Amino acid sequence: MDGEKVVFKNPNDAIIKGCISKVHQEVNVVRDLTVGQNITLGYEPSRAMIVDYKKLNPTVNKILERLKCNFRSEDMAYTLTAGQMQMLSIAKALFHNSRVISLDEPTASLTVRETEALFAIIRELRESGITIIYVSHRLDEVFQICDRATILRDGAYITTLETATTTREDLIQYMVGREVNATATRMKESCVQEEVALEVEGLTRKGVFKDISFQLHKGEILGFSGLVGAGRTEVMRAIFGADKLTSGQVRLKGKPVRIKNTQDALRSGIGLLPEERKTQGFINFTTNTDNVALSCLEKFLTNGFVDKKKKLRNYRHFAEELQINPRQPEFLTQNMSGGNQQKIILARWLSTNVDVIIFDEPTKGVDVAAKAEIYRLMEEIVHSGKSVIVVSSELPEVIGISDRIIVMCEGEKTAELEREAFSEETILNYAMGGNGNA
Amino acid sequence: MPKVSLRNMGRELAVFIALIIMIIVFALIDSAYVTTGNLVDIVKQSTINGILAIGITFAIISGGIDLSIGCTFAIVIVAVGELTVRGVPPLVAIVMGAALGFMMGTINGFLVTKMHLQPFIATLGTMSVYRGLAYVVTGGWPVLNIPDNYRRILNAKVIGDIPGSIFVLIGIAVLAHILLKTTRFGNYLFAVGGNEESAKLSGVNVSRTKIIAYGFCGFCAAFAGMIMLANLGTGEPASGQGYELDAIAAAAIGGTRMAGGKGSVLGTVLGALLLAALKIGLIITGVSTFWQYIVTGIIIIIAAYFEIIQTKISALIS
Repeated sequence: MDGEKVVFKNPNDAIIKGCISKVHQEVNVVRDLTVGQNITLGYEPSRAMIVDYKKLNPTVNKILERLKCNFRSEDMAYTLTAGQMQMLSIAKALFHNSRVISLDEPTASLTVRETEALFAIIRELRESGITIIYVSHRLDEVFQICDRATILRDGAYITTLETATTTREDLIQYMVGREVNATATRMKESCVQEEVALEVEGLTRKGVFKDISFQLHKGEILGFSGLVGAGRTEVMRAIFGADKLTSGQVRLKGKPVRIKNTQDALRSGIGLLPEERKTQGFINFTTNTDNVALSCLEKFLTNGFVDKKKKLRNYRHFAEELQINPRQPEFLTQNMSGGNQQKIILARWLSTNVDVIIFDEPTKGVDVAAKAEIYRLMEEIVHSGKSVIVVSSELPEVIGISDRIIVMCEGEKTAELEREAFSEETILNYAMGGNGNA
Repeated sequence: MPKVSLRNMGRELAVFIALIIMIIVFALIDSAYVTTGNLVDIVKQSTINGILAIGITFAIISGGIDLSIGCTFAIVIVAVGELTVRGVPPLVAIVMGAALGFMMGTINGFLVTKMHLQPFIATLGTMSVYRGLAYVVTGGWPVLNIPDNYRRILNAKVIGDIPGSIFVLIGIAVLAHILLKTTRFGNYLFAVGGNEESAKLSGVNVSRTKIIAYGFCGFCAAFAGMIMLANLGTGEPASGQGYELDAIAAAAIGGTRMAGGKGSVLGTVLGALLLAALKIGLIITGVSTFWQYIVTGIIIIIAAYFEIIQTKISALIS
């Protein structure tokens, strides 16, 4: 630090000695404390062991003003949006007079507008002499906000580049170590068939989304775009039976079905790869084999008992087909990389022979090489006669792999675009509630 | 691959080794400890706690807890006691007792799943209700003069000195092991405890799985109670107080993860054996009862800490 050697024993030590603050990917906020209490947590200004709020709140508010935040120190943390919580973390770093602030995927849960605001703040902090370490999967952001970019691959330092003199393709090449077409593109011909696999009509969940109707054809990849909070995940959860519907009709291959819970969805042939793998996808303390087998144990029965050998055979089949790595059947899924965890959950649904697979943010937190593999697998799925819905906040992704795109804004469907109408500008316009006159 | 399977078996093996070491240490202090009679005593002593602990292991793996088992135990004791005294054939009474226990367990499961209560609070409530019911049924008096034909079924010496109750423990342990390891319910139970939301989003019926787990917990409590009834010959409505804590201790020593998703029948049974071996060892070597509490507590803490160290070591290996 400033040429001196420092050793940090723990995060607190780093804050005190070196003034390094880390803003985490998933924001750590105590929901039932005020903003000010959160920011000063552990270092509250106090008099004789009693917290001095007369000093605490003005100090914090001064920082919040500097960051142009529209919330106050006295507000309860649970009233903040994801973007505001991010700002709270940055305010915390400033409270500790951090000279180095490290941001880990700060925009992961931010809307476009919040991201813009965050970048303005980051630029301002840079002007005032604060060093920012910005960890991101999103290459556009790296070029937008960073002066230099360091690439790590498989835990090793690869190189550091000046972003001004580097192209996106260069960067990707260093990241994957070999030439990979990282941007989402279709490698095979589109294979959309006439037959409608899934049709929903007037789907409504009060206060969350309303009147959602669309058709999903056999062999189609249907993209769902929109800003964070547009209600896409909620629509998918409702179709899958994880959340209750207020009204609406779901038809599978023309036949009306009532999906009241996830077991009904599974029986009807709908699978969902959830957004949060860790909390919604795989099971902790459980091996790859068992994680893959979970949704169709009835297929592995011998005399009514679950047959380990059959589970293992099933796992080996998909481990081979999906190139799961490490491949050991006894490996705990929780210790795998994000991309491989995603493949385990995909293997779970492929084992069940469902006809419709919903991918919710399938490449979130997944490295570039694994992304390309996931796109390839999606294509294989639709070529085998199944249908895919992809919910994605990454515009190049939905544009690259979808046959059609449905755009949502604040719980409503605002557009249904055919391939020739795909463009980032059009989609963004609809996603922000525009009427199509981009 | 062997490394992985060793890690899976690690906990049971460690408890087993601890048990052997404990037996050796007590044997060195007093050779009377390792007589056949005494070793049978250890198993006998662990029967009731072992069966209760197997049941609560299911509730704990599901991500919950069942504090009411000591009271389910008491209700079944007085209910089956009354039935046998009134001349109901013993085998019929046993089946009815088991069904009663299962039903009381499913009530807990219902409160936890359909009413979304925290397992701790839900079973704290039923714990009090069940205890009260046991008193109400008997007016606070014990059920006396349990017929011998009932007592003989669960308490008879089957082979040499070995009482039938040990075979009930073995039977329930085997049944529980098969349920956990080879049935769909068992697979779902680990999934629900390991990550409830993931299990739900995989199409697992979370509520049904939990209700069955609590039902089985009550079923085990019923058998433990019926063995107690056979042993004592009287049905005491105040019996079983604090038994849930011993059962939790056995499960914890056996490596059941208190937050759910992890645990085994073998580990739990070994945990119950270890507690019984410790208790009898301390009695034989003349240590006062007061010290027994202290030592038992320390063993539980060591067992929990061992879990943490084990996790760290396996993280280092991989």
